[in-house]
Amino acid sequence: MARPYPRERSNAWFLERWPYRVFVLRELSALFLALYMGVLLVLAARVHEGSSAFRDYVDALQSPLYLAFHAVALLFALLHSVTWFQAVPKGLPLRRGEQRVAPALLIGANYVAMLALTVLVLVVVLS
Amino acid sequence: MTQAPSDATTIRLEIARYRPEQDERPVLERYDVPYRHEWVVLDALNYLKDHIDGTLSYRWSCRMGICGSCGMMVNGVPKLTCSAFLRDYLPGPIRVEPMANFPVERDLVTVLDDFMEKFQAVKPWIIRDGEQPLEEGEYRQTPAQLADFKQFSMCINCMLCYAACPVYQHEDEFLGPAVLALAQRYNHDSRDQGKGERQELIWSDEGIWDCTFVGECSAVCPKHVDPAGAIQQAKVESTVGWYRSFLAPFGRG
Repeated sequence: MARPYPRERSNAWFLERWPYRVFVLRELSALFLALYMGVLLVLAARVHEGSSAFRDYVDALQSPLYLAFHAVALLFALLHSVTWFQAVPKGLPLRRGEQRVAPALLIGANYVAMLALTVLVLVVVLS
Repeated sequence: MTQAPSDATTIRLEIARYRPEQDERPVLERYDVPYRHEWVVLDALNYLKDHIDGTLSYRWSCRMGICGSCGMMVNGVPKLTCSAFLRDYLPGPIRVEPMANFPVERDLVTVLDDFMEKFQAVKPWIIRDGEQPLEEGEYRQTPAQLADFKQFSMCINCMLCYAACPVYQHEDEFLGPAVLALAQRYNHDSRDQGKGERQELIWSDEGIWDCTFVGECSAVCPKHVDPAGAIQQAKVESTVGWYRSFLAPFGRG
């Protein structure tokens, strides 16, 4: 009598192959972005409280723990940008008549936009 | 890709065997088969069945990547074994297992009932409110209208995308990549009028919203159907649809 072997489920599937590991890191990156937003919000609150509160917080941010957090958060932010820019053509398949707009063009446009915004922010901050 | 022929004469296969009458669970068995530069994994399996162990069970048919029956896990990755060259796995061994995420009927043969049921659930055929009279001729389509869904129509139902999908592995209800891409194929067909009938199922949790966009379905697809893309596009449409019904509840769908 045939007795099919039930399908297997793995609780560690996300460790099994590289594409799955990258996926989980991509999802995890949102957590670090959220934590970093928290730091920014606290910073804004300190600005509101006055210049000494602001300076105290900036001093605190220079502790090794905070610096390490920022380094990790930066790596995750880069991973977040790269992986999601990579995904843009999948969700947004622009078409010119019968031809699809080249995925590389869509991805490139996002990098250009990011670069332009970064320059804009730097100009505003430094001027 | 050109590769110099290897001087290997044999290559080792590790095959998952499951014989329900004697095995409690699938077990790996090792076989040495001749190595040929131009052989694919399926050729090695056929040699094995013809010359070493005739009891090995597996599915195959066309040997040219169009019938979609020879999907298996090759070194843990879903592959059509008719398109997986031995030379890409040198020096071996090559582990061949049944497609992941499906129950195993026997050896490398999986149970496909779940896929077949979900396949039908999305009504993968052209639905019309009413047929136009014959004298009005055929339903015409511009090349641009064809391009809108053609990619999603290339699916050969090999189910490699299901074997690659961790959501399907963990969510019994999830319709899965190929079926959702197929729904998109008909929803985007200018001759079809059945979008409304498919909508409730497709736009539900067991439809597109269970997908977490791992993206491996598209990576393993031998026909470049891009089910992950189809699902993300359907998510955009579903979101637009939701806002539209929210902002203009009495408007047209």
